[in-house]
Amino acid sequence: MSDTNQDAASSNTMEVLLRPDDIAHKMRRLALQILERHAKAPLRFIGIHTRGVIIGERVRELLREDLGEIPYGTLDISLYRDDLDNMGAMPSLKGTDIPFSVEGAHIILFDDVLFTGRTIKAAIDALTDYGRPQLIELAVLIDRGNRELPIAPNYVGLTVPTDKHDYIRVRLREHDGEDGIYQTKKPD
Amino acid sequence: MEPRKDLLDIASLNLEEIEFVLKTAGPFKELFRKSIKKVPPLRGKTVLTLFYEPSTRTRSSFEIAAKRVSADVTNFTVGSSSVVKGESVLDTIDTLQAMKCDYIVVRHQAAGVPNMIAKHTKASVVNAGDGFHAHPTQALLDAFTLRETFGDLENKKILIVGDILHSRVARSVGRICEKLGMKIGVLGPGSLIPRHRPAFMRTFSSYDEALDWKPDTIYLLRVQLERQKDQFFPSLNEYHNVYGLTDERFRRIEGEGTWVMHPGPVNRGVELGDAVMNYERTLINQQVENGIAVRMAVLYWLKPQTD
Amino acid sequence: MDAFILRNGQLAQEDSPDLTETDLFIESGKLKAIGPQLPAVDGVPEFDVTGRVLLPGLFDVHVHLREPGREDKETIKTGSEAAINGGVTGIVAMPNCTPAIDSGGMVQSVLDIASRDARIPVYTTGCITKGRLGKELANIGGMHARGAVMITDDGDPVGNHQILRRAMEYAREFGLIVASHCEVKELSGVGAMNEGEVSYRLGIPGIPAESEEICISRDIRLAHLTGAHVHIQHVTSGEGMRIIERFKEDGIHVTCEVSPHHLIFNETHIQDYDTHYKMNPPLRRPEDNAILLDGLKRGIFDVIATDHAPHTDFEKQLDFGSAPFGITGLETALPSLYQEFIKPGHFGWDLLVKRYSAEPRRLLGHDPVVFKEGSPVNLTIFHPDKETHFTTSFMQSKSKNTPFLDQHVQGHVEMVVLDDAILLDRLTANAS
Repeated sequence: MSDTNQDAASSNTMEVLLRPDDIAHKMRRLALQILERHAKAPLRFIGIHTRGVIIGERVRELLREDLGEIPYGTLDISLYRDDLDNMGAMPSLKGTDIPFSVEGAHIILFDDVLFTGRTIKAAIDALTDYGRPQLIELAVLIDRGNRELPIAPNYVGLTVPTDKHDYIRVRLREHDGEDGIYQTKKPD
Repeated sequence: MEPRKDLLDIASLNLEEIEFVLKTAGPFKELFRKSIKKVPPLRGKTVLTLFYEPSTRTRSSFEIAAKRVSADVTNFTVGSSSVVKGESVLDTIDTLQAMKCDYIVVRHQAAGVPNMIAKHTKASVVNAGDGFHAHPTQALLDAFTLRETFGDLENKKILIVGDILHSRVARSVGRICEKLGMKIGVLGPGSLIPRHRPAFMRTFSSYDEALDWKPDTIYLLRVQLERQKDQFFPSLNEYHNVYGLTDERFRRIEGEGTWVMHPGPVNRGVELGDAVMNYERTLINQQVENGIAVRMAVLYWLKPQTD
Repeated sequence: MDAFILRNGQLAQEDSPDLTETDLFIESGKLKAIGPQLPAVDGVPEFDVTGRVLLPGLFDVHVHLREPGREDKETIKTGSEAAINGGVTGIVAMPNCTPAIDSGGMVQSVLDIASRDARIPVYTTGCITKGRLGKELANIGGMHARGAVMITDDGDPVGNHQILRRAMEYAREFGLIVASHCEVKELSGVGAMNEGEVSYRLGIPGIPAESEEICISRDIRLAHLTGAHVHIQHVTSGEGMRIIERFKEDGIHVTCEVSPHHLIFNETHIQDYDTHYKMNPPLRRPEDNAILLDGLKRGIFDVIATDHAPHTDFEKQLDFGSAPFGITGLETALPSLYQEFIKPGHFGWDLLVKRYSAEPRRLLGHDPVVFKEGSPVNLTIFHPDKETHFTTSFMQSKSKNTPFLDQHVQGHVEMVVLDDAILLDRLTANAS
């Protein structure tokens, strides 16, 4: 999940990482990687709220011709976060909607930015409360490093080396009105 | 939205907070369809139910809600002897404080006790009903149920029937319905209609007149049997005939598609006749189920100041 | 300090709206000289009291001293010290002790304790009925013989009209005032505050003003019937006051009192179930504050009295419905009345002197305090420009059940002198 800090994003050290065409390209790349590995076995996709849901949808659309209608669910990991105690007000819930059984399923999780790994840990916790999947893989648009947990992605659009105080902002058409990924360097 | 420590009444909530609880309760209710109905946000936290007035239903509802958000739950039974001795409630709270609980769900026969406790403790206090004052989780679950049934509540009409004077449910439900834009009518024996009721409560002189107003839902309040003893009305039989949802009145509302609510437990033959219980537009069981989801949402929303 | 001179004080008197600048020469408990620019006397210390108001010692006809029976709340000693701390130099104790003051012997023992423990005159009332139960007449003649100054079942009314009538007829022959706590108990029920929008919102059972008003009307009519002197205690509602006013206009002899808290506070102050605002009769509506104030200015109320009613912290920490009725008042009355009414100009010092010093003494058949050469000293010195911080250590009452607890109030009692005793001195200590 990306931050949405307006001030940081609009400061003058911001640089563009991906433009709309680049994003479309990275999406296709994710789709191809997935297709290479899963030409046969039936897949299920789950997007992590908010922008992971959009990315999963787009990739699913790209694979429709090859893999048909991939069953799609959405996951809200708010209740599984390990930092709820440190938050001011509690996050509002977007709800989890998984319209298929996860028992024994091959599942690919989608998120926008992979950072500390805590969101993915929470997502795995949440998902396994629904049952025991046979396989869970992870697809992310951006991997910015700085992991705090032993978690690695299976499919990556773009790997960006960052300082942990840098700020990555993801904007997607469906939610933000435009496609664009921006990086703001930590002020020296 | 500012974090809030306690839920003491409806009047002090702003619309944003009410909407947050109602919106959050939805995803919690969805969990009830999962095989694992439990989620972890209150893991490691302790919820204590402190009931000075017995109520198995409300207590169980809170207990299930607390467990489904992964809190540890302890029921603190207050010996009636210490109450009689006049042991101060605050003494009890000091004891609970020492047990390091994070949430205290309290029901008390005296109005204002949850407010008093809230000032005295860092734990979040949830009012589960205090005297004639407030029953905010009941109001929230009713609002959630109304939203499920009607969607937008603006200008929808609710008719609250019964003991408006002594009812904490009427106070809290009336207040939340008003905040959500509904129109509120009240009907009951003249001795149980408060002289100083809020202006948004319109009154009716008879059931017929109230039904002519075409309420979207009728909310029946439980009749406390001791009111009859105190001569607020002559007899239960007369209450049923004049202010009960008799089978005859039921046929009229059935034709008009009016919904029926009741906070439970129901006194059959007093507030309502048997026919109503099987009516397809009776929301009584939904109210119970929604109670758990809403109480989960409330526990999730509140922020204790414990370490 | 047998003799001293106070320089440049502002003397308050009941018959003059203006303060008079004056010096006082006090010697051996008497006013040796009074007037501006008194000559200095060799060896007599002088104290500058510029800006201070010199008041005749105040007098409170309605206080609860709790002794005997509830010495954990107050004693005659602590209650009288609280009075001194508030500039009050005479008090009348109510008889709802445990046991109730309903016999000559009980009256005697209260007065005995008072003469031993109190540094100011303490008078006592006796009950109308035995044990304040409203059933049998108390030993009224015996109590009168031992010095009871009024009879009252304060805290409760006498519910039975016939018994009250008999008591009035009986007391009339002794010239005893019948002081009346007006309440129709059946209408008050389990009520704990005024019946109104606030009580509905808080879910606290209400006490309608009619509970008090009906009883006021009954008691004055019975007093008229019997020829007794009825004194209506702690009037709270505008309509209650108007009932008394109408009877007074008809020439019926009745006296009545108003308390500082009913003038200053109202039901909206209860807010979040603050039991400091729970008393009986209860705080009424904001508009009642204004009507009572107007009545005080127009002379409807004969006296101001605090109904000083101490209760322990433990009891006041109970829930609003269960906590006992009552608010302390002796120490806060003068500063709070100054801050709320005199300073903003609602009434003058003359009204305060008349209603809280002179008339209360007249009610008991005493002469009011006068300031003239040769008269005994009965003096309270009040500094209007200093604040009082009502901390638990400042207050002398055993109980602290007042909304003024830990509050700052404008005005400060600096000195109290009664005859040849300096009862309180925060003036010369600071001066030296």
